Amino acid sequence: MFFLDANSGIPLYVQLQQQLRQRILSGQLQHGAQLPSVRDLSEELHINPLTAAKVYQILEREGFVETRRGIGTYVSPQPPVLRMDARRQQLAPAVDQLVAGAVHLGVAEGEVQALISDKFRRLNRKPQVP
Amino acid sequence: MSEAPIHIQDVSRSFNGVAVIKDLSVSIKTGSIYGFLGRNGAGKTTTIRMLAGLTRPDQGTVRVSGSDPFLMGAEERQRLGYMSEKAMTMPFARVRTVLNLCRRLYPNWNPALADALIAKYGISPWKRLTLLSQGSQRIFSFILAIAPRPSVLLLDEPAANLDVVARREVLDDILELIRECGCTVLFSTHILSDVERVADEIGILANGKLRVSEPLDSLKDSIRQVRFFGFRGGAPSGDIPGSYRTIRSGDDITVTMRIDSGPSPEALAERWSCEHEARVLNLEDIFVELSRN
Repeated sequence: MFFLDANSGIPLYVQLQQQLRQRILSGQLQHGAQLPSVRDLSEELHINPLTAAKVYQILEREGFVETRRGIGTYVSPQPPVLRMDARRQQLAPAVDQLVAGAVHLGVAEGEVQALISDKFRRLNRKPQVP
Repeated sequence: MSEAPIHIQDVSRSFNGVAVIKDLSVSIKTGSIYGFLGRNGAGKTTTIRMLAGLTRPDQGTVRVSGSDPFLMGAEERQRLGYMSEKAMTMPFARVRTVLNLCRRLYPNWNPALADALIAKYGISPWKRLTLLSQGSQRIFSFILAIAPRPSVLLLDEPAANLDVVARREVLDDILELIRECGCTVLFSTHILSDVERVADEIGILANGKLRVSEPLDSLKDSIRQVRFFGFRGGAPSGDIPGSYRTIRSGDDITVTMRIDSGPSPEALAERWSCEHEARVLNLEDIFVELSRN
């Protein structure tokens, strides 16, 4: 099941694409697994079939899924590892929000960095190097 | 783009000397679900009635599936589904009587579909239309519009008077129709969350003119509300060119603008030596920003 918020400013196709990509990257969707058809996805999520088709097209271009004509859409046997700039791009909005919040609240840059380091320590892991 | 199933070009229409539609042009491609938005009195119903061949434009061209809807013969008209915003004709007829009549009128009428739909929505075939609830009357009009499996479907406020569950079901039936026969749908509504789910294109009508007509995704991707603040050399005066709306409060300027054309927020901030922050707008915000005078 996917969670789509139609009232959000983020387009539905972006929400769905992010969630699918996340599940492929985290291994929840296994390599080579069959994905629901555009029709089924549209029915299940109550969305326009064009939106579902667009998401598969984008993921196919990025190499996360592959469409076998007349058979269906599958998770790629070897999904791509996201390039560093793509990862940065995904993190950028969260960073913007964090920095803007810190500026408004008058929290100094060093303190923000300390908070982030502390969070990483508590998660007990370092950012993974590609 | 004369092959677009719904095509309106340079259309104007006034009533008693009051211009309701001014130089309207819209083109909707096959298989699209077009959400037609506008405030009360913006001209949505007039536009839909012109497409249905019920109102003639004073000027300009209206084409549905390549034909002038005002001159369509019975056969072509069969392929055009229309649900009016108003209550239905024949209020004293029974549901079953109306269905039987339509079955004989439309060669493509799908009786099994019509029966399945009235059962699904809990409409008794033996009730007189006038005794159905407001919501059931709307749904029955909707069923009559979709059961002939039209290639172009015009829905004027299909969701009005429906409870949340029925509204979702109606939207699902519209989607089902699209999946099954790839027809083209134009629907007007005030309920923006409906549009977000099912529409792939939207038009916003304000004062008889189309403010935008484009894919919903591109609209959300390209319109931002940007606040410029901390001007080091004083705030610029006058309207910001290319913006939809400009609000000034104190030393701040908040601009609703496109970021896919014209100067970017970064470029403007640099030009004015100030800071800026941008906010993503949802459809409701965009609608309000674009519909205000």
